[in-house]
Amino acid sequence: MSSHNLTLPLIGRLTPFRRKSNLAPREVVRPQLQGKPATPIQVVEKLPVAASQDETGIESEALLARLGLTSKVATRQLNFFYGDNQALFDNNLDIAEHRVTAIIGPSGCGKSTHLRIYNRIYQLYRDQRATGEVLLDGVNIIEPHYDIMELRRKIGMIFQKPTPFPMSVFDNVAYGLKLHYSMKKGEMADRVEEALSRAALWDEVKDFLHRPGTALSGGQQQRLCIARALAVEPEVLLMDEPTSAIDPIATAKIEELINRLKASYSIVIVTHNMQQAARISDFTAFFFQGHIIEFGETQQIFTNPSQKKTEEYITGRFG
Amino acid sequence: MKLRPPTGRRLTNLAVSIWAGAAALLGILILFWILYVVLARGLGALNLAFFTQLPTPPGIMGGGLANAIVGTLALTAVATVIAVPVGLMAGIYLAEFSDDSKVGDYSRFSANVLMGMPSIIVGIFAYTLVVVPLGHFSGYAGALALAILMLPVITRTTEDMLRLVPNTLRESALALGAPRWKVTLAIVFRAAKSGLITGILLAVARVSGETAPLLFTALNSPYWFGSLNEPTPNLTVTIYNYAMSPYPDWQQKAWGASLLITFGVLILTVSARFLLREKKV
Repeated sequence: MSSHNLTLPLIGRLTPFRRKSNLAPREVVRPQLQGKPATPIQVVEKLPVAASQDETGIESEALLARLGLTSKVATRQLNFFYGDNQALFDNNLDIAEHRVTAIIGPSGCGKSTHLRIYNRIYQLYRDQRATGEVLLDGVNIIEPHYDIMELRRKIGMIFQKPTPFPMSVFDNVAYGLKLHYSMKKGEMADRVEEALSRAALWDEVKDFLHRPGTALSGGQQQRLCIARALAVEPEVLLMDEPTSAIDPIATAKIEELINRLKASYSIVIVTHNMQQAARISDFTAFFFQGHIIEFGETQQIFTNPSQKKTEEYITGRFG
Repeated sequence: MKLRPPTGRRLTNLAVSIWAGAAALLGILILFWILYVVLARGLGALNLAFFTQLPTPPGIMGGGLANAIVGTLALTAVATVIAVPVGLMAGIYLAEFSDDSKVGDYSRFSANVLMGMPSIIVGIFAYTLVVVPLGHFSGYAGALALAILMLPVITRTTEDMLRLVPNTLRESALALGAPRWKVTLAIVFRAAKSGLITGILLAVARVSGETAPLLFTALNSPYWFGSLNEPTPNLTVTIYNYAMSPYPDWQQKAWGASLLITFGVLILTVSARFLLREKKV
């Protein structure tokens, strides 16, 4: 796995990861192959592109541009603090639209911290703060005046442990709907059914809609949480180790579900499980001690990482 | 090196077990002793008249404590109505919004101190606050004193019960876009419901047997309960007065009233425990 086999499908990195890049240059100098993103078989170690110089220091931005993908969420110079302790350092990361991006790294490297900035859930805690930019469709959502309800409608989140609310299966899904939409009962029922179907749970719960959500199995509970998040029609789904508290069979179901969902949503998944990242993601970002060490297409990261640290991590030498 | 023979260790173990067991047994024994005595002495006093009639003057047989029963229920109910909203809100503040701020720390500390406050002092406080300005004893003053006693119990149990609700539940509701107050009322409260009810029941049980705070406030009255704006008949002060009296008939009634209160509190406490157990399953 660690061999540097250049014949593997890979695209050379444009620039080494740079922590202190200027904020200013946003547009990418697009290389010639911009028009054909579907053919990544370039046996080129480094692309002869101006971007490898100074203009675009952000590798995720450049890579998405090269593949012709839109950046749904982009973080720029993102720093995060727990009180006086800095946990994230100048994170620059682009989340591709309608793709799955995995965030991997050893415990305590800032994966979850990074994810929890996207919907500003960290604001629940008084001593936590973020600086820099998180751009959702180009708009900085870190700005205090960005409407937090709307932000959280657009960006749904799934947590490590399933967290069904203490109410019926139906009400669990309807809860978010009632927060954001006013609708008639019949329409509500339709929307709940649709959300449960999209989360591949409808067939299992359609006869038990009025039982408490907590009575479902762990895997079902997690899919209920996904249905609950999908009901309000988000654009981005954040998943913070969504299968780490769930048995393997239920995990397989959820991975399958993620695979289907990416057609309509941009998904970011934090995972401890590298096989899972390799199975379900299109892009992978490797975090270490609050820095983004490497970003690339998942296949490239797992077969031919360009950073020594990444290679050491995915080959199990630490973490 | 030789292993120590196990005899000494086993003997110590045995001695400590017996000691601890005996101490536990003593506690249970005293409880059942009290229950037994109250039951044996009080059961004879309970008849229809006890629950339906006014007390009679000394020397005249018969009569009952209906006025005091109604009065005690009224005092406790009013105290509960005052203390529950304030206590719940204070508990919500401590658990959900104080973020371990200074105000939160001081409030929690005050609640703890208030919880250990001798109830007679709370009675004198209500006396100064209500009885002195109004110029007469009143049920309002009594209810206020009881409410002050309930307040820290409800506040602290509310805080503890809300803190038991995992943060992930709050986060997942917030992550759906719910505003903070809705998360607290619709999600966290619901998750902690049985714990909150338990706290209220325990607070009611705590005050319904209180005599001292009523001595200077509600006082007592041999007449029907009419308004909280006058001295209000109640069971505990009645017990105090009747038990001290030389009349066997009154003493008998004091036992009956004791039985009523003891078992009322017992039922409250047991149902509180039952509710909590329900939740864990």
